[in-house]
Amino acid sequence: MSSNNVAAGVCPMGHGAAAPADHHGYEPFTMENPFPSYTNLRNEQPVMFDERVGLYVVTRYDDVKAVFEDWETFSSENAQAPVRKRGPQATKIMNDGGFTTYSGLSARRPPEHTRIRAIAQKAFTPRRFKALEPSIRANVIDSIEVMSARESGTGDIVKDLAYAIPTITILTLIGADTSQVDTYKRWSDSRAAMTWGDLSDEEQIPHAHNLVEYWAECLRLVAHAHEHGGDNLTADLVKAQSEGAEITDHEIASLLYSLLFAGHETTTTLISNCVRVLLSHREAWEQVVHNPKAISAAIDEVLRYSGSIVGWRRKALKDTEVAGVKIPEGAELLLLMGAANRDENRFQDPEAFDIARPNAREHLSFGFGIHYCLGNMLAKLQAKIALEELTSRIPSLELIDGEGIEFRKNLSFRVPEYVNVSWKEAQA
Amino acid sequence: MPTVHFTDAAGATTTINANTGDSVMETAVRNGVTAIVAECGGSLSCATCHVFVAESDLPTLEPMGEMEDEMLYGTAVDREDNSRLSCQLRMTEGQDLHVTTPETQV
Repeated sequence: MSSNNVAAGVCPMGHGAAAPADHHGYEPFTMENPFPSYTNLRNEQPVMFDERVGLYVVTRYDDVKAVFEDWETFSSENAQAPVRKRGPQATKIMNDGGFTTYSGLSARRPPEHTRIRAIAQKAFTPRRFKALEPSIRANVIDSIEVMSARESGTGDIVKDLAYAIPTITILTLIGADTSQVDTYKRWSDSRAAMTWGDLSDEEQIPHAHNLVEYWAECLRLVAHAHEHGGDNLTADLVKAQSEGAEITDHEIASLLYSLLFAGHETTTTLISNCVRVLLSHREAWEQVVHNPKAISAAIDEVLRYSGSIVGWRRKALKDTEVAGVKIPEGAELLLLMGAANRDENRFQDPEAFDIARPNAREHLSFGFGIHYCLGNMLAKLQAKIALEELTSRIPSLELIDGEGIEFRKNLSFRVPEYVNVSWKEAQA
Repeated sequence: MPTVHFTDAAGATTTINANTGDSVMETAVRNGVTAIVAECGGSLSCATCHVFVAESDLPTLEPMGEMEDEMLYGTAVDREDNSRLSCQLRMTEGQDLHVTTPETQV
């Protein structure tokens, strides 16, 4: 790459955008421990063009936040585009299967985004979340009881707790079949792999079939709500439409396609990460065991330290600059929130996990600005309930081989495959 | 130039000259008023820019929208009759606004 640097007339020490051969240690799809490479990028080349994925990688806090905020220059239209081009087999399967959606909200732009988000937001409110709290808590308690009754005295927080809780919640909110958790998880895994994964054309085929099924179910849910009504978000949206709200059936189905993925995928990861990170910092776990009021702040620090989504894309609509680096019109950017969240210019001693950190909430794990995570409150509520019940019922919980946990290969989603735990004795 | 007086829960007041058209939230964040957190950046998604507006100033404000009303049910300190989300309050020419910030936004 050094010859490219020279050809492009940029400083080989890293002030230009061209990446050095080692990319500062950054590997776009490797999620085990990306943080040392994030530090290198922030320090050595805060805006790096990574030719392996065709993205300008942005890592400093102020730059990431500024790009999120300037939605007029940096469009979200590429947020749901496949990182690896969809292959011919998958394209045919999806075309033949009537797959016609792209994005519910995250990759839409104003004024369309503003119009649809305003309608969606009304059905996604704190009062509705609070009404769900008792059933979420009951589900959490059930899951913990099943796990802690196991004679082996061991469990996997991902499988035993984090997998089903948020999935049941979002299926309930939307009016989908809550017995179909496994099916929605299979579709969601396919969505994450097809959009942000590093798949060959062959590898895309089963996922393409899953996305066809998934989209067909979203369309069916809208049709069902038209016919039968219901007390759920889908029925509310259909009703709003009939009362004059400007939203089409395709837009409602696309919104479901978004929420039935985003509404649990990242919360499963958040709950898993809360347990994983707190247990790997034992003193922090003990603190929340003894002082449950510290749980909310601990969740914010987990979101900063180990967010569910560590990178998100934008596209420049005109020639512009980020941190003095020229970004041409049409170029695509990868904002690494996982790196921004550990920027020493924003967070003191950023590599330390500190549940008393006063500004943990300034993390960018939910994005910033017009696309800020619609479900942020619901996600945090569920993580809080999970931790409240877990710390009070199994305070002796211990992590098994936390260092060895594997993370799924992905550009954006940093997902632990399992969080194995053991305990001495559960409280009745 | 419009002015906002922010009084914190302990009673200390900070007075800031605002730009016409900016929101009260933006005015606070740009001037280091830390009692306004404004996590989401003004997209009505976080309810962390909650303020209590002085009774005498309430009639000078644009009425509350339906979504702002809904989000006020998600504030850390319970809403009162004079509660508003400061991201929704746009400063008008010559306005002199008095708000109190809650003890916590989170």
